[in-house]
Amino acid sequence: MTGTTKAALDGVRVVDLTVWFQGPVAGQHLADFGAEVIHVERPQGGDLARGVRSIKAVPVGDWNQYFLVINRNKKSMALDLKLPEGQAVMRRLLEDADVFLTNLSAENLAGWSLSYEDVQKINPKLVYAVASGYGQFGDNSKPSFDMTVQALTGLMTRLGEPGQPPIYLGMGSGDAIGGLMAAWGVLMALHQRRRTGKGQLINASLYGAQLLLGGASLQGYLATGSERFSRQQSRSEPESALWNTYQAKDRWLYVCLADEGDAWSRFAGTLDDESVAADERFATADTRRENAAPLTAALAAVIAGRSVEDWLERWGPLGIPASEIANLADLAEDPQAWANDYFTETYCEEVQRDVKVRGLPVGLSETPGSVRTLGPELGQHTEEVLVETLGYTWDEVIALKEAGAIL
Amino acid sequence: MTKALDDILVLDLTTEFWSSLAAAMLGDFGADVVKLEPLPDAHELRDRYRDQNAPETWNYSFELANRNKRSLAIDLDAGRATFEKLVAAADVFLTDLPTAALTELRLDFATLSQLKPDLIYARGSGLGPEGPDSEEPAIDELAAARTGMMPILQQPGQPPVYTGAGQIYTTIMLAFGVTAALHHRDETGEGQEVDASLLGGNMYSASLDIQAFLAMGGERFLQPVSRLDAGNPMSGTLYPTEDGLWVTLTMPDTDRWWPDLSDIVGLDVEDPRYNSHERRCEENRLELISALEEAFAKRPAAHWRDTFNERKMSADVIEDYAYPAQDEQARRNSFIIDVDTENHGKVPSLGFPLYMSESLAELARTAPALGEHTDELLSSLAGASGDEIAALRSKGAVA
Repeated sequence: MTGTTKAALDGVRVVDLTVWFQGPVAGQHLADFGAEVIHVERPQGGDLARGVRSIKAVPVGDWNQYFLVINRNKKSMALDLKLPEGQAVMRRLLEDADVFLTNLSAENLAGWSLSYEDVQKINPKLVYAVASGYGQFGDNSKPSFDMTVQALTGLMTRLGEPGQPPIYLGMGSGDAIGGLMAAWGVLMALHQRRRTGKGQLINASLYGAQLLLGGASLQGYLATGSERFSRQQSRSEPESALWNTYQAKDRWLYVCLADEGDAWSRFAGTLDDESVAADERFATADTRRENAAPLTAALAAVIAGRSVEDWLERWGPLGIPASEIANLADLAEDPQAWANDYFTETYCEEVQRDVKVRGLPVGLSETPGSVRTLGPELGQHTEEVLVETLGYTWDEVIALKEAGAIL
Repeated sequence: MTKALDDILVLDLTTEFWSSLAAAMLGDFGADVVKLEPLPDAHELRDRYRDQNAPETWNYSFELANRNKRSLAIDLDAGRATFEKLVAAADVFLTDLPTAALTELRLDFATLSQLKPDLIYARGSGLGPEGPDSEEPAIDELAAARTGMMPILQQPGQPPVYTGAGQIYTTIMLAFGVTAALHHRDETGEGQEVDASLLGGNMYSASLDIQAFLAMGGERFLQPVSRLDAGNPMSGTLYPTEDGLWVTLTMPDTDRWWPDLSDIVGLDVEDPRYNSHERRCEENRLELISALEEAFAKRPAAHWRDTFNERKMSADVIEDYAYPAQDEQARRNSFIIDVDTENHGKVPSLGFPLYMSESLAELARTAPALGEHTDELLSSLAGASGDEIAALRSKGAVA
């Protein structure tokens, strides 16, 4: 995936003043497709994500993948924005940039003269992108992390069996969608700027993005008010028994058969128990839907008798869509994930070896994304950006260093 | 006011919710999206969206996934000449059909890019365009099943869980890919193919767990972790309240928040069991989880929300969909909007998750009726006269 000569976002410069995950991952998507992304970090320790020591109580090991992967393909500049000298460098950086990306608090940004209004005066063509917690308007003052915002959306409360605790969609699930949405907004704003000559303010939020994750179920709730969308529904009482999870002899599987046409007769013919196929309660699509619970119980008993592999061998040739419910170890070996570059390997300076990383989820045939480097060391590119990009003299660089504005 | 994509014409030949929604969201930001409804199956494709438990209700999923579009009902075979004129006028072709069907219908990239050399040709698939299973049907549940998250999200001993988040992630990836390709076309005049899949969407929506497993490995990522065995008692945890609801905390920097948290749950901030990050998160982690479990169960959720808000703590009550449905913040930001419908009055709907100051997303039109814009589209995009349209209609090429 290296050696690409063209990239979709060649020539786009992004000043990435972000921490943790939602903001940085937005910058990652832009950097993967060739934008020059300069991650500006505080000199004291840098982005807080550099300090992640464990995940799920497991030590991160010899390389901090949490930070290094979402900050890949970026440059790092260590700049103290609390000092006037640091703010002056930031202003120069923004003069010629295309995009300013941030997820810091509006209060901090205003204190450093980095509000949208401030920055527009420096560069009216700049796209100013905010990855926020709760959106552009209203009460934004509460601290926001992925899961505490997800808690408000209602997404967690509807998952799992009735009576079980709510279920989180996974670490960073809200940050990931909020960050991607910010990156998409940046691209739309760049396209619009070509015609208007003007930048703009965009705001992607954990709350807005995660409400969209509710998709059809939240939309169904809004339209009908029905608790079948908002509360936990047991898998033993599904809408359709042919679209459900089952525990086979060894592991779980998912069968997703639309109950139309001759689907049932094809499916029933594969079962070891002829009484299920003969049962009058299951004779038509309507009665199968009415009797989805007893049909689920009957199928569960039959499916438990054979291995997942057995079932998939029977169902595959008949066009019955089904899959083993894989775990992460299975995924790590999944040829689909590797063939499509959703996983890739790249060299990690910290441990001096190739490591496996998540790859590129969007394919562009002429300008594919690439993983060129993992996340930079703190301040690795400070001098390069100052001298080569911004035209500072070495004397000025030394003065900044003495003032403590850069590392 | 201009819109970000108001110079872009999108031909939308999608049948699934997540991919149709991608086209609708391009429309939200100004793209002119033409929904191609293939004859003779168009009615059937629409009917699949109906809520079988409430068939008379507003067709809410279809409406969401097809807002801000115009409809052209066309037989892609009998109406081929017309279709080719549309392609020549289009900027983006977006589809989720299987490659076999696209080849058979002569809708593959090679064919269409001859009609429009700088066309952006975007396809959403189930498991990606490459690999042994690239032709498997695009079903989000099956993509989610391969992603490794279904066995670990729930509490130990519980059945696997399907969240549905991966498909929405794929929606935005498609929109992102199309817009990245537009940027490249703006610069170079070159079109290209764009692909995103439900597998990629599910993987990226769960990227932290997946990346952690790739780097660190270990059983702890293969089995559900009990909430009573959380890695950090103060972060990513769930505790029941007195009134049967739940609170969740995300305060990874426990040094900063322990004084507040200990105070509100009635523990001594100097308690030697918990007075350092290491003691809270390593040595006495399980003991602290039990202590918090006991403390949160003593008061109702409303008490905890007030307390969290007062102290600006990153913690909240876990709500159900009734909360956003009534939340002023969701309305003010247009995350949820009211839609005036023809037959169902004013109905709340998902709105626009992204704010752009110079390109406000808006509902310019609700989902079109089948073939509602056939005449105007044939006239404006294919240059067809009234007589020509009538002739196409009578031979069943359009409707």
